[in-house]
This record gives sequence, structure tokens and C-alpha cells, in this order.
Amino acid sequence: MTLEALIQVLIGGLLLGGLYALVAFGLSLIYGVVRILNFSHGTLLSVGGVLASLLYATYKLHPVFLILILVPAFFAFGYLFYAYLLQPLERRSHFESTVGTVLVTVGALLILSDLTAKLAGATQRNIPLRFEAIEIGEIVISTTQIWILGGIAVLTVAMQVFLRKTWFGRAIRAVTQDPVGARICGVDSSRMKAATFAFGSSIVAVAAVLYSMSFPVDPYMGFGLTVKAFTIIILGGIGNLVGALLAGLFLGVAEGLTGFFWKPEWAPALSVILLLLILVVFPKGLGRSR
Amino acid sequence: MRRLGGPAWKMALFLAAGGVPLAGNAYYTTFAFTILIAFVLAQSWDWVAGEMGYVNLGHYCFYGIGAYAFAIVLVAKYPVVLAMLFALMATAIAAAVFAFPLFRLKGDYFAFGTLALLPLAEVLALNMVPVTNGSDGIVLPPDNVLGEAYYIALAVCVATVIVTGWLTHVRFGYALKSIRNDEEVAEVMGIRIFPVKVAVIVLAAAFAGLAGGVQAWQMSFIDPGTVFGLNVALVPVAMALLGGSGLLWGPLVGVLLLATMQQWLLVNVTGYQATIYGTVILLIGRFMPGGLLRASWVRERRWLSGLVQEHHERITGTGAARQVSGQLPLAVRPTDRSRPMLECREVSMTFGGNVAVNAVSLSIMQGEIVGLVGANGSGKTTLFNCISKVYEPVGGGILLDGRPLAGLRRDQVAHLGVGRTYQIPRPFGDLTVQENIAVPLMFGEDRLGPREALDQAREFVAYARLDARLTDRADALSPQERKALEFARALACKPKLLLVDEVASGLTPMEIKRFVELIRDVRDRYGITVVWVEHIFSALAQVVDRVIVLEQGEVIADGVLGDVVKDERVLRTYLGGAAQKAAVGHA
Repeated sequence: MTLEALIQVLIGGLLLGGLYALVAFGLSLIYGVVRILNFSHGTLLSVGGVLASLLYATYKLHPVFLILILVPAFFAFGYLFYAYLLQPLERRSHFESTVGTVLVTVGALLILSDLTAKLAGATQRNIPLRFEAIEIGEIVISTTQIWILGGIAVLTVAMQVFLRKTWFGRAIRAVTQDPVGARICGVDSSRMKAATFAFGSSIVAVAAVLYSMSFPVDPYMGFGLTVKAFTIIILGGIGNLVGALLAGLFLGVAEGLTGFFWKPEWAPALSVILLLLILVVFPKGLGRSR
Repeated sequence: MRRLGGPAWKMALFLAAGGVPLAGNAYYTTFAFTILIAFVLAQSWDWVAGEMGYVNLGHYCFYGIGAYAFAIVLVAKYPVVLAMLFALMATAIAAAVFAFPLFRLKGDYFAFGTLALLPLAEVLALNMVPVTNGSDGIVLPPDNVLGEAYYIALAVCVATVIVTGWLTHVRFGYALKSIRNDEEVAEVMGIRIFPVKVAVIVLAAAFAGLAGGVQAWQMSFIDPGTVFGLNVALVPVAMALLGGSGLLWGPLVGVLLLATMQQWLLVNVTGYQATIYGTVILLIGRFMPGGLLRASWVRERRWLSGLVQEHHERITGTGAARQVSGQLPLAVRPTDRSRPMLECREVSMTFGGNVAVNAVSLSIMQGEIVGLVGANGSGKTTLFNCISKVYEPVGGGILLDGRPLAGLRRDQVAHLGVGRTYQIPRPFGDLTVQENIAVPLMFGEDRLGPREALDQAREFVAYARLDARLTDRADALSPQERKALEFARALACKPKLLLVDEVASGLTPMEIKRFVELIRDVRDRYGITVVWVEHIFSALAQVVDRVIVLEQGEVIADGVLGDVVKDERVLRTYLGGAAQKAAVGHA
């Protein structure tokens, strides 16, 4: 239990936490605009990760190409999924649309993970890129990790610019704050919803490629990620990307430390316990939504 | 052919279920056993979801806790009865503990928080190796107990049916239905809701725990995946919803259909079970989240109509024949005009930086009818909300009939004698007019039984001239009828002080006249003190003793109507500076 090992764990935690945050970004945007909880959100990452790993193993595609392939595919999937399976439920009564949404997204979760497991095998996979190791004293950092951290940083900044400077980003923020007001001001909220759902799903595609570059993915890991992403957006505030990033890093590091000081198998329980605790102490969440 | 769903059908089902093990075919007995367990889970889930409107996605977690509790005790060589008892206790306690964080959530958040219980329970079961044996699971004594387990499951199942029937017509059931419709109004009508919520989730969890225990006994093996796994956990939820959540026969129909399908898949399809199951769940969610029994093509079949009924209590037997007396069952209160009914002392309420009510002091004498007027946003409704404890005022004190209201809950204030209406009526939409009024009668000071309350409710319905709508659902009423219902329901709180919020706006002159007569009548005949928020001065003028004017959260005038309308500040508030100038210009 040396200081170097601790620093190593912290770096791993930051990396993992940053990836959690990327998953949470999508969920947060979707929840903010569409007001539904997509239980299958994290499962998209496990599907994307398995797909990316398979494509890499077969064609040796560079991760950038993998992202370029998966992003439009996930965008299209998200758009169609929302438009055909979820949007029609909006017309029903409150209780029916709530349970309908839950059933549709949970059903999708089961289908996606089972199909992936049957078609690709239920084994753990990753993208085994060979990058050089950089040694600083006893601490070893791979260039992969630096690439991933860089990717997370670029994506966060890009998202922030997108939400603040573009028409679509402003529309997303407007609908998040006040759907009726946004509609009165000419934002076509039904098309916005489908587009946001698709956009949120496509962010997961990027996260999936980055994730499988340094951690193993398997078809059944998805729901655990959804729980983490939800914990993060409660911690960071719905629609608040900076808050989500900080909360994600916090959760990743906390999980790393749990494994380091105690037992790694308890790490998955951490997010749920944290979630329940936050809900008891701060029922309205910690961050201010933006 | 007799219609499905009658008592004879229930008896036949029960006898058929009881006879299954006698046939001696282990395959069919096991299948029937699976159905019994699934029914207990689906139906107990529906007590929380269908009756109270809270979608508890972690219900299966209680089944798992029951299974583990049972297995641990049985393996330690204690008798089965003790193990079952322990399964029941453990789940009930777990549910009571989880209820505290979870019931701070509503809607989607509640659904998500409860779903997160499953991975938590799975991690606990995997890691608490000394107790749970970790991922190896627990192997129970290898006795063939199918027959015994079957009859225990049948007993639990019958108890489930009895509880479900019981919930349709007892006071506790009406508390659940009121919460489902509108929690705030339920409290204002005198229901203390938190214990009700905890009680129903503990009840549901106890049944799920029993189901888990008996299933563990029959399977003689459990591990974390089988009792906490996400793919199995939502099946009972899907079953209840497929049949029709909140309908007496809904969960049973859903269980029979889905369990049969599951069995067919097990036999005929290898692999892809979770995919097919996921597809079924998805399709139910997409096309009939209201359930099969609410679909129009089912409702139109007469022989099925016994299955699809919603249970609204109607007066049966002697009660129905009894004539309405025309006298409301209210104690006639002696009124002493020199003693205050309501005193507000420096009451303040703020929202963030916005001061909605600013140090308001006023007193209303017993038996007075007082108009409370002011521009929109002047704090009238906020003051009502402070009195009925929808908001806890940030400063000052309120006394009702000499009793301070500080620190009391909404239901306690209702019991002390505050009845109120809402500006936009908030009836319990899916209850009948009669049931709406019976709710405050059941949960008021008198705590009437449901039967008496429904009977008494007819007097109030007649008083508000809603007789023709007695057994119609409240969400089918016109706006004017809703206002009448709201007024009658406030009276059914048997209040000393009635707070009426803009009951006349949007009504025709004839309808307004009716309300003015009613308000005068409740004071003259029953001694109820009335505070009436209203913009329509002509309506107020017919009945009020006094008018209080609020502006920007402060009292600016208080006196008889004739004087108040001549007051400089009131004129400025009501006509505005521009209007005043215009008037001067014309002169």
C-alpha cells in the first residue's frame, strides 16, 4: 500500500469517473428535455463497447474511425427508438405514460443485453490498443489513458460550447427549463425531444469506445452504469454538465478508493448507497439545474 | 352463461387450484405453484402501484429478502414455520426501513430509487459471504416438499385475494385511493398520509417475503441472481400491468397469460428467453400500459364485463332506500360574535426573496362571513395555504378558536375544524362524487366507517344539488359541478372555519346566486364561520359582513364593504394609477 499505488488508483478513478460522466451527460440531457428516465441508457454503452471491440478485433480500425461509425448509428437508433416506441405514450394518462415508459425502456434493456450476449458471447471484451507506457518515478501511465482523459476533456468542452452557442443547444436548455414557454417561443418540442434523445444516445457511443479502450465491457454491465449515471445527475444537477463531470469524477475516485482501502467487490454498492443517502438528505438534488 | 368474475367463479378457481396436486403430476403442480407465487407478487405490487399510485420497481427485492431469510433459518435446522415467520418479519422490517428514504421521492424518482434496491441487494448477497454464502448460493435440505409448499402458497394466495377485496371497501383503502389522486388534498381532508404509505409497503413486502420463502423451500436452492436478478425482477410488474393495474382481476389475468407464455417458451425455445420476455414487456408498455382489461375490445364483451369493473362503492340494501333529509349532519355551533374564530398575528410567508404574505394581522369573529379581496398575487391564496398548513408560515402565529396552529400538520388542522376549497377544484378524479365526499367524513374527527360515511355523503351531495351525479366519477363533471363538489367536500370536513377560494369566478349569475345562498345558509343554519376570497364584488356584497383587502401581502383595508370601496388605497389598487388619471382627465 504505497503512495505510488494510491496515485495509480486515483488516476484510474478519474478515468472511470470521467467516462461515467459522459454516460451521465446523455441521460441528463434526455431527462431534462424529454422528462423520462431511460433505463436502457447504460446498456447502450455495453452494446457499443462490445460492437467496438468486435470491429477492432476484426478490422483493426482505429478508435477514431470506430467513433465515426458508432455515433451516427446510435443517433439513428435513438431517434427511431424514441419516435416509434416512446413518443406515442405521451398522449396517455399520467400513470399510463409513466409505467409505459418504464416498461418500454426496461424491455429494451433486456433485449439489448440478451441479444448482445447471444450474438457476441457473454464474455468480457475490450479494445487492446498497444500504447507506450510513460513512467514518472514508480507511477506508470499509458498513453491510452492520456488519450482517454483528453477525449473526455474535449467532449465536455465541446458539449458546453454546443449548449451555449448553437441554436439546438439553446433550444435544449430552453425546453429543460420550461417546456411550455419554449413551445410558445416557437421551439418545436416534439421534434426537439426525438433529436435530444438521439443526441444523448450518440454521446454514449463515444463513451463506449473510450471505455472499452481501458476497461473490459460485457453485455450485462449496462444497468449498473445507468444507476451510476443517475446518481451523478442527482449529485450534479439535471442539465448541469460541469456538475455532472465533477460528480462523475468524485464517484469514480470514490469507487477506486473503496477498492483500494477495502474490497473492490463492494464498489458497485457505493453508487446505490450514495444515491439513497443523497435522496434522504437532499431530496431535491445538490446542484442547481441550468 | 354466467358472466366471468362473480363469486361462483372465484370459488371454482379456488377449488380447481386446490385440486391440482391431487392429480399427482409434478410438472403441472410445479407450474400451478409458479402461477400462485407470481400472482402473490403481482397483486401485492399492485396494492402499492394500482391502489396508491407509487410504481415500486424494487418489489422483487422483498421476495429475495424473504427467500434468503427463510433459507438461512431453515439451513440452521429450525422448523419451517419459524423460517416462514422469519421471512415475514425480515421483509417487513426491511420495507419499513427502506420506506423512509424512498417515500421522500415521487413519480419517476420513486421508480428509479426502488429499482436501485435490486443491484444493492444483489451486491449485499454476493459479498456477505458468511451469511449468504456469496455467489455459491444456499442449498436447502433436499426434501421433496412440493405438496406442502403448494398448499402454503395457495393459503398465501387466498390471503392475497382477501386483502385485495378488503382494500376496496375499508377506510385504509380509501386513504390509498386519495393519495393516488392528490396527496396534498388527501392531507387537507384529514388523512395522515405517511403512516398509510409505510403500512401499505410493509404489507406488500410481507406478502412478497412469504412468497420468496415458500418458493425457496420448493426450489431448495437460491443464489443472488435468481432472487435479485433484474431480468426476473420486473416480471411480476409486467404481469400486473398486462392485466390491468388497479383492477380487481387485472393482476390475475396478467399472471395467467404471461406465466403460460413463459412456460411455453421454456419448453419450446432454447436461448433468447430474455429477448422474448423483454419484447413482451416492451410491447405491453408501448401498446397497453393501461392493461388488457382496459382495452376497448375487452370492455365490449359482455361476458367479460365482470372482470373489468372498477370497484366503486355504492349504497346497497337499506341505505339506498332512505330519503335524504335535507338537514346536513353537522352539529349546529353556537356563535358568539365577540369571540374570534381565526386570529392571524403578523403572519409572514416568503418564497425565496419574494414576500407573498407580509406580517398580516387580522381576526375573524365566530359566525362572521368575511370577504378577502385583493389583486392577483396579493397573497390571498397564500394566506389560505398558511392557515391550512399547505405552507408553514415563516413568521407570526395563527390561532383557530383560541388554539395556536404552530407545528401542526395539515391533517391535524383539518381535524381542528378548517375546511377549504381550491381555486382550481381538485376533486379525487377517479373516485365517484359520493366517495369524494365520504373521504373527509371517514377521516374527520368522527372517523365514520365507510358505509356510514357513504350514506352521510348523500346529504352533502343533495345539499350541493349534485344528486344526479352521485355515482359518476369526479373527472367527468363540468367545471361548475366540480366547484359544487369541492364546496360540499369542504363542508364534509365538518369545519368551524370554511375557507372558500374564488368559488364564483367563471360562473353564470344564476350559479353565483346559488353559491351566495349556500354560503349564507351554512353560516345561518350551522354557525360555520366563512372567509371567502373573491374578485366579484357584486357576489360578496350580497352576503359578507366585512371585507379585508390585501395588497402586496399586506392588509390595506378592513371594514364594511360600503366603506372599503371608498378607501383611497383600495381605489388605487383596484382601478390603478392610470385609470385614476383617466377619470380625472375626463372630469
